[in-house]
Amino acid sequence: MSEAALIGLFVATVQFGTLVFLAALGELISERAGVLNLGVEGMMAMGAVSGFMVGLETGSPWAAFFAAAAVGALVGGFHALVSVVLGADQVVSGLALTIGGLGLAAYVGRNVVGERPETQFTDLGIAGLADIRWFGEIFFDQPPVVYLTVGLGLAVWFVLARTRLGLALRAVGESAPTTDAVGHSVMALRSGAVMAGGAFAGAAGAFLSLYMAPGWTEGMVAGRGWIAVALVIFGAWRPGRLALGALLFGFTLALQPRLQSFDIELLGVEVSRISPALLGILPFVLTVVVLVIISWRYRHRPSPAPAALGLPYRREER
Amino acid sequence: MASENADHAVWLRGIEKQFPGVIACAGADLRVRPGTIHALLGENGAGKTTLVNVLAGVYRPDGGEVWVNGQRRHFHSPADAIAAGVGMVYQEFRLVPSLTVAENIVLGAAPRLLRSSEIENRVAELSAAYGMAADPSRPVWQLSMGERQRVEILKALWRDASVLVMDEPTAVLTPGEAAELGAALRAMADDGRSVIYISHKLDEVVAFCDEATVLRLGKTVATVEDLETVDRAALAELMVGSSEGGYVDRPPPIEAGGEALVLDGVSALSDRGLPALSEVTLTVRSGEIVGIAGVSGNGQKELAETIAGLRSPTGGRVELNQQDVTQTPPGARYRLGLAYVPEDRLGVGLAPKMSVVDNSVVRSYRSQRQGLMLVMAQCLGFCRDLVEKFGVRVGRLHDPVAGLSGGNLQRLLLGRELAEQPSVLVAAQPTRGLDVQGVAAIQSHLVAQRADGVGVLLISEDLDELLALSDRLMVMYEGRVVAELDPDAATRGEVGSAMAGQVSA
Amino acid sequence: MIRPVLARREKVIPGTQAVAFVVGIAVALVLGVVLLSTSGHSPAEVYERMFDSAFMGSDSLARTLERATPLALTGLAVAVAGSMGLWNIGAEGQMMAGATIAAGVAMVADGLSGPLLIAVMMVCGVAGGMVLMLGPALARSHLGVSEIITTLMLVYVAIRVVEWLETGPWKDPDSFGFAVIEPVPEQASLPGLFGRANIGTLIALGLLIVFWLAVSRTAWGYELRLAGSSPNTARYAGISLRRKILTALLLSGGIAGLAGAVQLTGSATRLESGLSNGYGFAGIIVAALALMRPSGVAVAAVVFGAVQVGGQSIQTLGVSSAISDILQAMILFGALVAAVFFNYRIRWTGPAGQLPGDEPEEADLAVEGA
Repeated sequence: MSEAALIGLFVATVQFGTLVFLAALGELISERAGVLNLGVEGMMAMGAVSGFMVGLETGSPWAAFFAAAAVGALVGGFHALVSVVLGADQVVSGLALTIGGLGLAAYVGRNVVGERPETQFTDLGIAGLADIRWFGEIFFDQPPVVYLTVGLGLAVWFVLARTRLGLALRAVGESAPTTDAVGHSVMALRSGAVMAGGAFAGAAGAFLSLYMAPGWTEGMVAGRGWIAVALVIFGAWRPGRLALGALLFGFTLALQPRLQSFDIELLGVEVSRISPALLGILPFVLTVVVLVIISWRYRHRPSPAPAALGLPYRREER
Repeated sequence: MASENADHAVWLRGIEKQFPGVIACAGADLRVRPGTIHALLGENGAGKTTLVNVLAGVYRPDGGEVWVNGQRRHFHSPADAIAAGVGMVYQEFRLVPSLTVAENIVLGAAPRLLRSSEIENRVAELSAAYGMAADPSRPVWQLSMGERQRVEILKALWRDASVLVMDEPTAVLTPGEAAELGAALRAMADDGRSVIYISHKLDEVVAFCDEATVLRLGKTVATVEDLETVDRAALAELMVGSSEGGYVDRPPPIEAGGEALVLDGVSALSDRGLPALSEVTLTVRSGEIVGIAGVSGNGQKELAETIAGLRSPTGGRVELNQQDVTQTPPGARYRLGLAYVPEDRLGVGLAPKMSVVDNSVVRSYRSQRQGLMLVMAQCLGFCRDLVEKFGVRVGRLHDPVAGLSGGNLQRLLLGRELAEQPSVLVAAQPTRGLDVQGVAAIQSHLVAQRADGVGVLLISEDLDELLALSDRLMVMYEGRVVAELDPDAATRGEVGSAMAGQVSA
Repeated sequence: MIRPVLARREKVIPGTQAVAFVVGIAVALVLGVVLLSTSGHSPAEVYERMFDSAFMGSDSLARTLERATPLALTGLAVAVAGSMGLWNIGAEGQMMAGATIAAGVAMVADGLSGPLLIAVMMVCGVAGGMVLMLGPALARSHLGVSEIITTLMLVYVAIRVVEWLETGPWKDPDSFGFAVIEPVPEQASLPGLFGRANIGTLIALGLLIVFWLAVSRTAWGYELRLAGSSPNTARYAGISLRRKILTALLLSGGIAGLAGAVQLTGSATRLESGLSNGYGFAGIIVAALALMRPSGVAVAAVVFGAVQVGGQSIQTLGVSSAISDILQAMILFGALVAAVFFNYRIRWTGPAGQLPGDEPEEADLAVEGA
């Protein structure tokens, strides 16, 4: 296998990692506030199509990226209205959002299928660093969204760990009545978190349609939204572990289309003969295993899962 | 008058609060001077919790005035009350287990940016100032109940509460922790803050508090300005009070039969893992009613659950009709003749969202079968008989039971438990919260069961009920049976003293 | 500041879920009008075409039933778990697992006679669904691991495994290089009813009736309902919650697996990665709309089946079939919101206002009484 192919694999790992990390970061914010959002797949599709269309219209990838985030936030607001404000079941609302979101994205984008954007994100060759052998291309010659996402990851970590807002968000995900009793608004915190989560998912969708696979086709999100949901659990609801998990999941995603070209043996198995489909189940199987391990290890103490995840709260029922 | 108000840290004046079917407060008054610890006493249902919840902004009063530190207040939410300086420590702590002590304390009143070392230092200073040791960096789930309570108190102090309300604070504490709590509360009072202290434990009240207010049926019936001189037995009697009428008198004693239920040295833990029952030994014979008196939280609930098989004992034996049932599961105990009316009618005894029919066959559905099928006509017939025989007033038999009144729920539950001629009946708080008619109906059923030779264990907080119905009366205090009295000879004062833990040798 | 609060109605309006469902359909149709007219289509024409293709004539009805059948089965699967308060989000995957095992058995047992082979395949379908559910069910009953995530994750495991079988081990050698699995043996096709409908519809209907009887008329169903509605009462009655959780989830997985076998022997010709076609996820919506009741599952499955058939038919008018997904989601959202307002009313509270509806919550009574 050539050096270029290997570098290509790692470049793609970082990009796929960025894609699922960005979406999962949004899901993490929402889940830490106690709201399960199974609508990520639909939100990403909405982000992908709206980002792509705004990109076509304006020619500015950044305008497209932020428009997609805004659309994601709007869709998130819908989930918040139904499941937080009105207190309907989060599972049902999220699933319906995925079905409806995928449908709406397909409908809205039906006329732009096959079109090519005029401009898209270009790789930022960071002066001086991009030329470093291997590392330069993998880490310092990526599109700006990659670096923005790293920054967002740090920001989410900082807000959750080091600010009053983050403390309130973590508290509302553990116990809404307690958080309400000290004067924080449960609705505002949770709705805000779900909308922020939607914005992240929408932005991730735009990264997909503006850079990774420029264009729009129905079904282009292809389960990456569900991988983001899995990643949050795999990362035990912590931004740092989420980043590591994103690289691992990103690696499996990057490897899938390349498997056949790898002419090496691993543990006595010819890598090129592994089915890409079987590799694709790895993130999901790992997530189930991690979930079981978490429940086992934390059986005598609070699990890292937000205790109030999935539980609607109405002040009246305090 | 205004100047007088200014003298009080808290003045609740003529507070009225009504809930559908229940008058919780009917003109209750409470005055607390700054720098004092004020006991709020009264039996269950006297309105104590409602009254302090009005002060804490949880309920809006239907009538009356709330004054805090000389100002008239209208609280719309708990946050308003917190802002006005009222800190509330509930029995069920409102802490986030996965967050640290410091994070819990500052939640809702934190600086915009959190530096853990900084807030932990400030919390440590605060806890040192009041002699309440608490490691600010530990997560709350690792703490004992006593430590968690300190966190709740520190939470109020962090917000600079001038009034601290403690709802039965020592219920979850070991005696050592209780003494520490007393010292900490005194330090706060010396600091000019005031404490409202709700408790049933008279020893503590006399030891910790300066003044007391006694509530009964939602009204203030007594205020005690100097607790040091008051007679405890008199206080106990004031607390338990007396309800009005409706009591059925038990017919003259009949010869009690053989031992139907025997507990031999039974011990058990509470839900919180603290010892709740210590070596309880008692016997209930066929054809007698044995009463269990005691201030709530002294192990009665755990006693009933252990007998019913819903709580595993940590030691001792339970015998039903001369058969060891210590390890027998709850369903099998019922089939061996043990009927149980639990304290929680809805949620344990009855499934709230299920229909009257479904609830009526919880015990007997196994015998309403034909092959795999449940014979609906048979279930309906069973239910109809039950409803008729026990005078349950229901709308449609297929409606959920959650819509029934307390008295009808209890008639249904008791009727179901008695349907298959049990030999032992354990009834926990069977008349609590019922209207006069309901009380009379339930009591006459208990008496009728006694006449039929059933051994009845009646756990109640209503002293008059116990004195009227019991053949023998036992008093529980801190998980032990501390006295056995003859209900015909004992006075209310004697029972009150035993309930307060004062046992005359 | 005056602000709205949701207050539980003292008297719940009767028959609410049926009304909520109708409201949901109305909301979806109105939103569809907006969507269609803004993109230059005539809503009346589109709706007429949808309705005609789904209901007018026996061929149309047959197409609707063909779609409603897997929806009813997966909806029933979700409802079985749901009647115990559990969420089976993985019916989509269990359907695939059931179809996979059934297809595998058909390959080796293709010498069997039609009825026998079909029966064996059905049993294998149930087994396949149960196998995929076994892990989540045990994790839930013995470790308390949320079944929502575990069942969901296994959906993609099942679909990817079928993709792998398509491209590798089970690839049909006679497929001219296409990555497809060989068709199921001829004799393993479910007998047809009329049009495209087959007796799979009767199987679904029969199971719905059996389930309705089992839940409402047997001691087993009684225990299931009791454990789902009030766990402490069930414990008090001597029912093992652990065993109930396990059986409810396994049964749920088995029914979803059966949906896969029915689909494989019914409208599909071969096992393929698109066989489940979103039926499992839509089944969750169907069950949620039906409030886990079998009669509701039947009605909602037919409505959703009709919407899907209608969605296909309007492509000839140049309208995207994606409309049908949007309509399905909007029916659910409309019904969810309507149901909230049937159970709650908006109350405005302000500083001066009293709250006449204040009730002592159970927790407070318990404190008062503790």
